[in-house]
Amino acid sequence: MYSSLVRLQNTFGFFTTVIFVVAAFIAVSDVVTPREPVVATLKTNQVQVVRGRPHYYSSKKEEYAVIKFSLDADLSSLFTWNTKQVFVYVTAEWPSSSAAKIAGNVTENQAVIWDTIITAPSSDHLANLGPAARKKLLKSAAGKAIDPSRGKLSIKNQKPKYQITHPSGKIAETDDVVLKLHYNVQPWVGMLTWNQDIDMFRWKKLKNGMSKKFALPAIKKKVEAKKTTAGTGK
Amino acid sequence: MLSSLGNPRQAAAQLMNFGLILSTAFMMWKGLSVMTDSPSPIVVVLSGSMEPAFQRGDLLLLWNRNIASETNVGEVVVYNVKDKDIPIVHRVVRKFGVGPDAKLLTKGDNNSADDTELYARGQDYLVRKDIIGSVVGYIPFVGYVTIMLSEHPWLKTVMLGIMGLVVVLQRE
Repeated sequence: MYSSLVRLQNTFGFFTTVIFVVAAFIAVSDVVTPREPVVATLKTNQVQVVRGRPHYYSSKKEEYAVIKFSLDADLSSLFTWNTKQVFVYVTAEWPSSSAAKIAGNVTENQAVIWDTIITAPSSDHLANLGPAARKKLLKSAAGKAIDPSRGKLSIKNQKPKYQITHPSGKIAETDDVVLKLHYNVQPWVGMLTWNQDIDMFRWKKLKNGMSKKFALPAIKKKVEAKKTTAGTGK
Repeated sequence: MLSSLGNPRQAAAQLMNFGLILSTAFMMWKGLSVMTDSPSPIVVVLSGSMEPAFQRGDLLLLWNRNIASETNVGEVVVYNVKDKDIPIVHRVVRKFGVGPDAKLLTKGDNNSADDTELYARGQDYLVRKDIIGSVVGYIPFVGYVTIMLSEHPWLKTVMLGIMGLVVVLQRE
């Protein structure tokens, strides 16, 4: 009954129970920590549509929207002891063309134009960076376990990371496009969470996370378009 | 210790006990599968394409029902490419259209390019039915055991041996 095997089993069982209870406690602590993310500004600076190819060897020509934007946001309340990283992304969203709407196909389109990974100091060593950038990142939060100041974003006239198109290849002269800011909090253990559209208990909705409606212009002149095609070929 | 081998009744009871443990585990897995509507409700991360969020060996809990809203841009989904049996964990970055035929494009946070290259020949987008679940929960490290087991197959034999031995040697 009291063989060493039984003792080993009991020790291991107790160990796993303790680990899981502590993990559950940490995961639940997220829910009671208030979140008050606020966007001060999210606006477009320069919007253009160019012609390009999906990749270098493609003969297909498509239209690409290049949306430059500015963003001021305070997401510092998302950084707690259980935050591993916050993934921040800006999407462009637009309804389907008016012709399709009349036919009854109301479709929505969403595409990420820019994103960034903000690591917490506790996960800086995992970030995929070059040696110099990593050193700088580690230095920026030396001695800190949590660094909410990283949640303060101030970006001016940012070039988009992704030039977007539509499966039809046509995107010029699209109306009612908006930019939206989103975030995804990745914990060390527990539930993944995203921005909400409504207040939930102690988590406030993301205020002001949408830009004004804008229209994508007609395609740029050919001479200028040629220059930009090189950038779209990944 | 091995007296149970001489006692057929006890040996049979132990065999039943072993079967019970196996079938309980199987039923829990299948029950979870029904609850989440996903053929594989828990997956182990195999690649580093979502780093630093997910490392190899982390355990992800999936949910495959669209109760409040559709699968949207920004969700981290696990999908299977046509004719390939390796589940991939990546984020949805583009969505065109609504409903089951909406075109979805995915990308790993740690990859510089989107997943078009990973898809099957002639497949430019995923649709909802390619997805076997969205990631809702995260537990680090626990799944590393399965990576160890698949990379060092002899560990499987050792573990099965130990488990069998424990069952035989236990008297309850």
